[in-house]
Amino acid sequence: MADEDKAAEIKDLQKQIRILQKKLERSETDRARLEVTNRNKESLLKGVICELEASQAVLEKKNLDVERAFNDLTLMQDKLVEAEKMAALGGLVAGVAHEINTPVGTCITVASTLMIETESLLAAVAANRLKRSLLDGYLEVAKESTDLLLRNLERAGELIQSFKQVAVDQSSLEKRTFALKPYLEELVVSLSPQLKKGSHQVTIAGDETIEMHSYPGAIAQVVTNLITNSLLHAYKNGEKGHLELRATKRDDRILLIYRDDGGGIERDNLKRVFDPFFTTARDRGGTGLGLHITYNLVTQKLQGKISLTSEVGKGTEFTIELPDRINS
Amino acid sequence: MLEIAVGHSNDPDSLEAIAEVLQQCKNKLGDKIPQAGILFAAVDFDRELILQEIDRAFPDIELIGCTTDGELSSVLEFQQDSIALTVFYGEGIEIRAAVGRNISQDPEAIAQATAATAKQQFNLPIKLAIVLPESLTTSTVSILRGLEAGLGDNIPLFGGAAAEQREMQRTYQFYQTEVLSDAVPILLFAGDIHFSHGIAGGWHPIGKRSQITKVDRNIIYEIDGKPALDFYHHYLNDYKPDSAYPLAVFPPGEERFFLRGALSYDLEEGSVKVSGDVPEHSIVQITDTTLEDVVNASAASFAEAWKNYGGEEPKAALCFSCAWRRWVMGTRANEEYRALIPALQDKIAACGFYTYGEVAPLQDNGQTFFHNTTFVTLLIGN
Ligand SMILES: Nc1ncnc2c1ncn2[C@@H]1O[C@H](COP(=O)(O)OP(=O)(O)O)[C@@H](O)[C@H]1O
Ligand SMILES: [Mg+2]
Repeated sequence: MADEDKAAEIKDLQKQIRILQKKLERSETDRARLEVTNRNKESLLKGVICELEASQAVLEKKNLDVERAFNDLTLMQDKLVEAEKMAALGGLVAGVAHEINTPVGTCITVASTLMIETESLLAAVAANRLKRSLLDGYLEVAKESTDLLLRNLERAGELIQSFKQVAVDQSSLEKRTFALKPYLEELVVSLSPQLKKGSHQVTIAGDETIEMHSYPGAIAQVVTNLITNSLLHAYKNGEKGHLELRATKRDDRILLIYRDDGGGIERDNLKRVFDPFFTTARDRGGTGLGLHITYNLVTQKLQGKISLTSEVGKGTEFTIELPDRINS
Repeated sequence: MLEIAVGHSNDPDSLEAIAEVLQQCKNKLGDKIPQAGILFAAVDFDRELILQEIDRAFPDIELIGCTTDGELSSVLEFQQDSIALTVFYGEGIEIRAAVGRNISQDPEAIAQATAATAKQQFNLPIKLAIVLPESLTTSTVSILRGLEAGLGDNIPLFGGAAAEQREMQRTYQFYQTEVLSDAVPILLFAGDIHFSHGIAGGWHPIGKRSQITKVDRNIIYEIDGKPALDFYHHYLNDYKPDSAYPLAVFPPGEERFFLRGALSYDLEEGSVKVSGDVPEHSIVQITDTTLEDVVNASAASFAEAWKNYGGEEPKAALCFSCAWRRWVMGTRANEEYRALIPALQDKIAACGFYTYGEVAPLQDNGQTFFHNTTFVTLLIGN
């Protein structure tokens, strides 16, 4: 090999050595830095995982809160349903009180007249001025008065009886055996003040002989709700309606059909009337709970079914199907 | 017609290295004397000596350059301690260098004046500018804003911030035979050339979304009302931020993010100085990446540039890749360059460096942005 070539080769080798030395230096510092980067990566991922865990915990807590809020709401709803029941009862009490007021008022008037007449008769006797004509007049008044008193007291007694029946059934919801149609008639009597206000006509039709072993209080409440709904929603002021309640029996099933000939329910609302809090009469004191309670009473307490059809302008019809005996 | 030659040497001996580089350029260009050049040099070289040697070889050359955190080229691929020189020769093309000095004194105004003065020397319409700004002393975003204002006409800027080997102490910029710091050298191209570019990153945000609650340009004081360093401590278990995990910054109302890496920090204040301005009230997230995602970004950025190239034939690809990318890639850094080789087809020369922040518009004809941890490819040719 020529000296020149050797010199070139040596020069090249020297260059390679320089480069290798530099690379060695570099790789040391770079390795140290990579270690730091990797350590940091580990921390970073740990940090992010912690965050994810924390946000999961937050989510779980939120879930719990939502659950709690939901339970509170359910509880609240139950309370409202209870309140609506009490309100229905309250309405009944008011109605009955009003109804009893009339015969009792008549009795008071008649009794005071009788008392005045009796006192003047007593005074005449004491003064020894009793005449035949006076006595005859008194006896006539006494006869009329006792008649009136008796009739009115009987009416009051009747009312109290029917109210007691409904009220007791409503509050205690006791299961017993009863004749359906007479029971419905009694119930309508207790509601008559409200009905009379709009001078609506109520027909109770169907089989006299149907007996049920069930919860009459629940049935009373269902019918009360349906009737009060007709009164509140179906008719315009001054409109005279016809409400009909028909009971029939086939095998061990009882069919109770209630209809009114009022304004009906709009198609879009039909599916929603049983929803709690659905009402189109919030401005007139509607709570939207009446039909919800009705639905629950029919399907749960009474173990039956309820459905409705309605046509705007023609009226609404509820069909309730009930077992004649509830055993459990 | 534009011709481009690239020389690249990893000889740690400055004189040997520049001699080798110049020889490679001459081999390519023959007796054509290049009009302009861009030098990328690792920090350990004798910079003055190298610049003088270039001046001796090509006395009238318009030269800019900067120190780097790694160099890459179609000659030696990826290197960490090398110098790489790209030279340009073209008829019907005007190329001129300019520099703004002491840029931190008033970055926007000085940059604007520099660009405006340089612009007046041109006879042909300016097409684009390469910038290699200082990044440690001042806000690069302000420099870019100034340059854009000075050049006008929506002239796009490309390039990267001068770097060193991760010491974050001092970077150098080159202008003709001068070695400067705190400066912004620019190289303006006018006349009959074509170009296109692409950008890609590879980092994705993870962890909780936090809000910047106190910031002054590129110094973040508070995140979520707490000292900014707490944010890093939360994730890195260390009060030192790590630039391998840059912040994804979502400016208010924006769904797209850009990345900001930490340059330095102040333990007492709990503040962090990041690689570019951060808009107030931005949402930030820490980010992570995988080696695959980082490596794949170079090819993705090249493909985008290639797709948008409107001329006949690109002559060179100038690449600006973030130093943080290299740190994350570690021994796999060369893969980033190697991913480009099939696309270069032995026809397109490539030269680039690892930067402290990349400069490019987000889309063609768009406004220029300052990026971090991205790979920018600029295709340039006829
Ligand atoms: N007979 C009816 N005629 C017309 N609409 C009715 C009738 N019954 C119920 N509705 C409608 O169903 C809704 C729900 O009734 P309900 O649950 O009892 O609540 P409320 O009576 O408090 O409004 C009523 O608001 C009304 O719109
Ligand atoms: Mg109701």
